[in-house]
Amino acid sequence: MLELKEVHTYYGNIHALKGISLRVEKGEIVTLIGSNGAGKSTTLRTIQGINRPRSGTVLLEGTALETLPPHEIARRGVAQSPEGRLIFPRMTVLENLEMGAYTRKDKTGIKDDLERVFTLFPRLKERIGQKGGTLSGGEQQMLAMARALMARPRILLLDEPSMGLSPILVELIFDTIVTINKEGTTILLVEQNALMALSIANRGYVIQTGEIILTDTAPNLKNNEMVRKSYLGIE
Amino acid sequence: MRNIRLSVLFGVIGGILTFLFEGWSVAVVGILMGISLGLAISGQLKRKEPAKLALDVLPSALVSCGILLILSLLQNYVITGVIGHSPAPLEVMIPANLIGVLGGALFLLITVALHGLSEGQERIGRLVLLGLVVIAFPFVDNFTQLGWTSLIIFSLIYVLLGMGLNIVVGYAGLLDLGYAAFFAIGAYTTGILSSQQDNITLNFWLVIWIAAAVAAVAGILLGAPTLRLRGDYLAIVTLGFGEIIPVIFLNLTNVTIKEPLTCWIIPGVERLFGATSKLSCNVIANNLNLTNGDLGINPIGRPALPFIGTFTSNNTVPWFFLIILIILLAIFGINRLRDSRLGRAWMAIREDELAASQMGIDPVRTKLLAFSMGATFSGFGGAFYGAYIAGVFPGAFQFSTSIIILCAVILGGIGNIYGVIVGGLVIETADRLFLPALKDFFTNLMNHSVLPALASQKTLHDIVAQNANPILYRYLLFGLVLVIMMAVRPEGLIPNAQRRMELHEAEEAPNVAASTSVKS
Repeated sequence: MLELKEVHTYYGNIHALKGISLRVEKGEIVTLIGSNGAGKSTTLRTIQGINRPRSGTVLLEGTALETLPPHEIARRGVAQSPEGRLIFPRMTVLENLEMGAYTRKDKTGIKDDLERVFTLFPRLKERIGQKGGTLSGGEQQMLAMARALMARPRILLLDEPSMGLSPILVELIFDTIVTINKEGTTILLVEQNALMALSIANRGYVIQTGEIILTDTAPNLKNNEMVRKSYLGIE
Repeated sequence: MRNIRLSVLFGVIGGILTFLFEGWSVAVVGILMGISLGLAISGQLKRKEPAKLALDVLPSALVSCGILLILSLLQNYVITGVIGHSPAPLEVMIPANLIGVLGGALFLLITVALHGLSEGQERIGRLVLLGLVVIAFPFVDNFTQLGWTSLIIFSLIYVLLGMGLNIVVGYAGLLDLGYAAFFAIGAYTTGILSSQQDNITLNFWLVIWIAAAVAAVAGILLGAPTLRLRGDYLAIVTLGFGEIIPVIFLNLTNVTIKEPLTCWIIPGVERLFGATSKLSCNVIANNLNLTNGDLGINPIGRPALPFIGTFTSNNTVPWFFLIILIILLAIFGINRLRDSRLGRAWMAIREDELAASQMGIDPVRTKLLAFSMGATFSGFGGAFYGAYIAGVFPGAFQFSTSIIILCAVILGGIGNIYGVIVGGLVIETADRLFLPALKDFFTNLMNHSVLPALASQKTLHDIVAQNANPILYRYLLFGLVLVIMMAVRPEGLIPNAQRRMELHEAEEAPNVAASTSVKS
């Protein structure tokens, strides 16, 4: 469904992505793990069109995305729950969710999806009239994910959904990711919390200083010596 | 307690107005004071039975109307002596004060009592009340010979401009410091298309639409180069445009338009092959003086209607209702825009451009439409302005005009259309009506009382004589009002809910935290 081929992305002179190639098949959860500054978020930003690759291509079901502006990419069914969440702080929870469905015109479908995300995140329903900026960190994360789902995306990009959350909330969020995936949304999950990510993913890629150094199924990665040492903290 | 303070404030402001305008003014001032005080108070009261509410504000009514009556009497029997005017006769004073004081109290009670009805009924009641005031105003003004309508019309033009700028600044969050450029484009389009300047004289009812359309296109043209810019940089570029446009109009005095095909393209191609062209160059316009430079375009055609005839300067009533009609249509249109998908997109862009683009909103298109829609309303305003003063002069579109419109938006409450209406009215009425009256008052006061007393001290006499003119301090006073407003009530007179939250986040945050902890 989504494929990156030899993608090179630069920040000015800094060579951030040095030929990233990865693919996500329909219905999968694929995780991209790596340490700080390895290029995880840059990969997502490149897919989203916020950063342009200097060479290489990004394909969504065969269509090249790398020349399109971000809003066109979003309209083609790529939704992101961004790092730092980027919710609209002065809009209410409901207004945020409605913004998520901005490109859609099927009113009944939007209504159904509202019900759906409220079932996934009952907490959001309690906070429906509250301004986004006044939510707690975990609630903002839920809102960002719910808002991305409201677009009924073909592929959902999740950037560090566990960041800054308590262990209980992380469990809750990851359970929800699995539910969302079972309901038919393809997911590319970027995480520092490799243990959690690998426990729910089908396959994984390990990224280090802008290069993919390893790829395998999630269980195999979990048992890989190098991954265990560097990312799972297990000797 | 707060209500009483407000009542004192409104009573004193009303009293000062009677100092300046004398005679019948107390009647008009009293009623306007009653309604505005009622609107200001009722927002803070809990809903209960209308009669009980009315009873609750009885002290406010007594205080405000009492102060107004005292000051009005003081004016007529004491102040007139000091400034060398003769007091108004009893046959004016008695009815004027009765109407002002009793009418003011009555309207205050009615406005507050409306708050006792349901929300929808209150809205309708207020609309009816304001509608009555607006409809009655020019006729009462004619009757009482106050001559306010002709000046209030300028305020209403600024209200329209403010509403347009509010789309750009308030909804889309793009700081535009050169908004007067679009006002100039609207006015000059009207001037060029309906004056003898270039022998094109179209009907006003057509020209006003053309002016709006030209301004809308100009909005897109001027918006396009600014799109990559944010915040301060955007503001500086719009500032530049605001300076460029009036200069362009100033210099459109010798315009020659040649048809490109016969003048350049065909001869150019022929010359490439070494032939000399035998085509005669078609000149569409030769040495045309479009704008008449410094002198401006004058006179400009005016609107006409069956039964009323051509609108004239002597009869301000049709002008008043025309601009009111334009404003009503603008309110309707802007409210629809705000609630549309486009309106939502503006809010999202204002909140966070990156996040908005990830929702599938095209930032370029959205911002250009904000510029263009905002410009449209100043196109209408410019066309009306040109026709109303029957001329267009380059001096009217300076940087200060842009700033005053922006201040009207900020003073009233960014993002709230009703706040912007109040802001525009307050600022321009202060400028056009209040300050000149204050100047006359001071001139009379000086000439009659102060200067004769100072005759022995020549230096002091001269200093006072030269500086006792409030119009000299126009921008100083203006600045002071803004500084005080920003310190006391930064969200504006009638704030937009979101903006208010933004500015009071620090104060409200603990409450939010408290309420969440209670819930969990």
